[in-house]
Amino acid sequence: MRPLLRIFRLMVQSQRKALLQGAALALVVLLMGAALLGLSGWFITAAAAAGLAGVGATFDVFRPSAMVRFLALGRTAARYGERLTTHDATLRVLAALRVRLLARAAALPFDAMVRARRSAELNRITADVDALDGIPLRLILPIGAGLAAHGLVFGVLWWLGDLRVAAAILAIYLAGATAIMAWAGARAARPSARAERAAQTFRARLLDLLRARADLVVHGRLPAETEAARAADSKRRALQAGLDRTGRQAGAALALVASTATAVALWIGLELVDSGALTPALAAMGVFTAMALAETLAPMHRAATELGRMRLAAVRMDPVLDAAPAPVAPPAPAPIRSAPVLVLDRIALHRPGAAAPVFSGLSLRLAPGEVMALTGPSGSGKSTVLQIAAGVSAASHGQALLCGQPLADWPEAALREVVTLVPQRTSLVAGTLRENLALAAPDVDDAALLAALDTCALKATFAARGGLDAPIGPGGAGLSGGEARRVALARALLRRPALLLLDEPTEGLDRATAEAVLAGIRAALPEAAILIAAHRAVEIAAADGYQAMT
Amino acid sequence: MARRTADQITRLTLPVRRSLQLAAALAVAANLLWLVQAGAVALAIGGVLVPPALLTPAEAALIFLATGALRAVLGYIGGGIAFRASDRVIAGLRARLLARETREGPATAGDTGGAGAVAALAGEKLELLAPYLTRYTPARARVAVVPLVILAVAFAASWAVGVVFLISGPLIPVFMALVGMAAQDASERQMREVGSLNDLLADRLAALADFRLLGARPALIAGFADQAEGLRARTMAVLRIAFLSSTVLELFAAIGVAMVAVFLGFSLLGAISFGTWGAPLSPVVVIFLLMLAPEFYQPLRDLAAAWHDRAAAAAVAEEIAAWEDAPRAPGFGTGGAAPALPGPFSLTTRGLRIRRGDALLTLPDITLHAGETLALTGPSGAGKTTALMALAGLLRPEAGEIRVNGRFLDDGTADGWRTHLGWMPQAPHFLDASLHDNVAMASGDDVGAALDQAGVAHVVAALPAGAQTRLGETGAGLSGGEARRVTLARALHANPALLLADEPTADLDAETASIVAKALMARAAAGMALIVATHDEGLAARLDRTIEIGGAA
Repeated sequence: MRPLLRIFRLMVQSQRKALLQGAALALVVLLMGAALLGLSGWFITAAAAAGLAGVGATFDVFRPSAMVRFLALGRTAARYGERLTTHDATLRVLAALRVRLLARAAALPFDAMVRARRSAELNRITADVDALDGIPLRLILPIGAGLAAHGLVFGVLWWLGDLRVAAAILAIYLAGATAIMAWAGARAARPSARAERAAQTFRARLLDLLRARADLVVHGRLPAETEAARAADSKRRALQAGLDRTGRQAGAALALVASTATAVALWIGLELVDSGALTPALAAMGVFTAMALAETLAPMHRAATELGRMRLAAVRMDPVLDAAPAPVAPPAPAPIRSAPVLVLDRIALHRPGAAAPVFSGLSLRLAPGEVMALTGPSGSGKSTVLQIAAGVSAASHGQALLCGQPLADWPEAALREVVTLVPQRTSLVAGTLRENLALAAPDVDDAALLAALDTCALKATFAARGGLDAPIGPGGAGLSGGEARRVALARALLRRPALLLLDEPTEGLDRATAEAVLAGIRAALPEAAILIAAHRAVEIAAADGYQAMT
Repeated sequence: MARRTADQITRLTLPVRRSLQLAAALAVAANLLWLVQAGAVALAIGGVLVPPALLTPAEAALIFLATGALRAVLGYIGGGIAFRASDRVIAGLRARLLARETREGPATAGDTGGAGAVAALAGEKLELLAPYLTRYTPARARVAVVPLVILAVAFAASWAVGVVFLISGPLIPVFMALVGMAAQDASERQMREVGSLNDLLADRLAALADFRLLGARPALIAGFADQAEGLRARTMAVLRIAFLSSTVLELFAAIGVAMVAVFLGFSLLGAISFGTWGAPLSPVVVIFLLMLAPEFYQPLRDLAAAWHDRAAAAAVAEEIAAWEDAPRAPGFGTGGAAPALPGPFSLTTRGLRIRRGDALLTLPDITLHAGETLALTGPSGAGKTTALMALAGLLRPEAGEIRVNGRFLDDGTADGWRTHLGWMPQAPHFLDASLHDNVAMASGDDVGAALDQAGVAHVVAALPAGAQTRLGETGAGLSGGEARRVTLARALHANPALLLADEPTADLDAETASIVAKALMARAAAGMALIVATHDEGLAARLDRTIEIGGAA
């Protein structure tokens, strides 16, 4: 229950007024429903008694029938208001939670970010958040309103009618519902969570299948992997069937509770009429009220079977809710004008647990307008040096200064204004070419965007595909590796950084294009210091000098 | 379009029609049992007003309870039948979707969205058919029977009550039809929003690092907040229609019940003398009619509540139809394990033309024997990757022929042909499994030798869990070059007769590129044929021949 209550508390914090309003309306709906049926039963029976006694002419019809109309219309309006308020409040909280989850994923350390499998994150932001809507809508609000309604109805029935009838109704409903909910909740908890997990496994496997289809075909594994996905779905189906059975059993048992309460109210009430302790009209009121209270049980069996799924989703939110709020960014340090753009002073990187450092004693300085190549075999740590210079990783020893100020002192936003890193792996996003470029520079006009494309030898490539409006598929689909690479370079140029860090920038480009692009970048950013993790002769040739790593 | 939609839902549910009819019949029977329960209550309460009572209080309570229990049991059984029917429909569709997407490949045209959208359709969207089958269909059957029975009973007792039902009842379906149209529209819009939100998220999550490095994180989050808010607004639009329609129906029902109650009250008091068949109404009949009145409207209200289930199901059915209509570019064979294609290794192509979107790509003829090596060169986007896919039987050529080991490459030979292939794609996608499993690809063997030959063994050894490490989808956790060499290891591990490599030296520094090239050449010297699509002139120069692609396209 604790994780569920935690989510509910979060909901109450941000939507207190709407949820309180919704809870009050939910109670009003239940009470008006009970009053409507109770009053109708009393009214008709009392009218019959009056007619039989020959005093029909003096019986006050108008007040009760006006009351019946008021209750009928009032309940309808209250129900509409309640549904609208609670659903809207819940969906608002969930939308905010989705944004929070994405913000958290975006704030992961750089290493963890590139390593994370997005299907897990995707599941959390979509399916898990979806599962949480039942917490207020089908669990806490209905149970709360139901309990309050039973309490109030008990008081009114006792006051107007008889304690024995009121107590019987309350006891049967309360004991029955509690027992059934406890039974069904316990029985469904594990399968419900497991079914949700199986559904997410199916989804992850399906995404694997769709994305790696060509590889699987060539390795003759397509049917086997398809079968594995189908197996995940079969498992979910089997669990779901068990859950459905539990849900229907709980539903039938709850219906029986309502029937029992009504039958007992009828029996006790009419026995009391026989003994003269109660009028027939008040006995009828008890019976009809007991019947109306069945409405309090309506949402219960679904809540019981969903409990496990809701709990699993709620537990998965814990790390997000535990996360401390982002600290207020310190003010950006003032750049020292005369200082080199980048100074690395005897930096080293020891990975925890590793015997030897990845690299050590690396020093370099870069002045504005200077281009330097970083060379060395794969695995010598070139990419890590660029990440350290970009402030997304830290060296274990030594000092790194950006514009004369320690890199660690730079707040993220200010850092990104000064440094741009184009890593080995870049991703484009679905949309148009313009949208992709605008990620880097939202306020730049088309002329500047086209100039950046031209620098990266892309203008002609896209001219035939609609220019800046050329469509780009998910993950850059539709572009060749070399084209995607050059779009990523154009994007970086648009940042106009003081320090540009390029990790194997001309990958996938033929030599002529590579030379043109490197020369273009330098011409476009004459003031920028550029550090290139180079693996091709053409990249080393474009630099003023190089620093070898071993 | 409404007609087409109705047909589509019917088509989807055709295989379980009998089960649904049975479930509907049980729902109707359970509903009609209310007449017995109402009768017991009416007789008991009426009995104390006008003795002698036909039933003692205990008897009446027992009948009410026993009938209630029977109702619960019928509901339990009927619900089970409906659930199993809906489960069959959904599982069948899901299996079909899975089979088609995998066997025939992704849609090449049409608006079916990316992998995220297909996954959403196969996952949560198909589930939206369940409420339609388990709630809407029984509710519709109840509407067809229960109100008519109650109407007949009411007429038999009092024509005035019957007239009230007769006038107020038909208003409800008319109104519902109007609401239904708006509801379906809103449902379709919401459904699209769900799909595009999924796609957008998958896409953005993959590019998180880029967003960070470009200082675009706030813009990313703001953009997503807009999208999430849009989804909320669309969902609320659907709900608002659903809530409003059920509210209006409740209103109709409430007015109808109130009119009946007022009429019954006045006639009991003797203030009204019309509306009956002569004799005044007895208290038993009055209480009975009063208990029936809400039940006359209840099936209609339940149907209205389920109306939005129908709208959602219709929107899903439309999407399934669009998915089925989308053209695909299937390859040859099943993509499954098969006995190796016999015969000495050879590969020849004649006059190959391959469809790429709207254009036809013409490939130069290729002849390749064991141990021969070939470079495919040409500008970016010329079709080098497409050519490799065609040679692996992943695409069906529009014209021309491919002969492998002396036989035509077709459905019968493709799987056997592929047992001879090594495959090194340009952009690897790693399965959600350990690095070892990704390299071994179910062969289960030790992959150490292959990792070693690919020059990546020391990199793998340095990973947190060695070869048991789980990589990100695109090999994140490794550098691009390292990931590329893992795919080389995978290709070499298959011990192929022909290795198809797409830009094998991309992302590698000169030294490692030469390790890779050496590994490839060493295997070629040992008899492996090799086709490489490459920009790398150094690598191309080391191969026997070079074919330029795209010159004549």
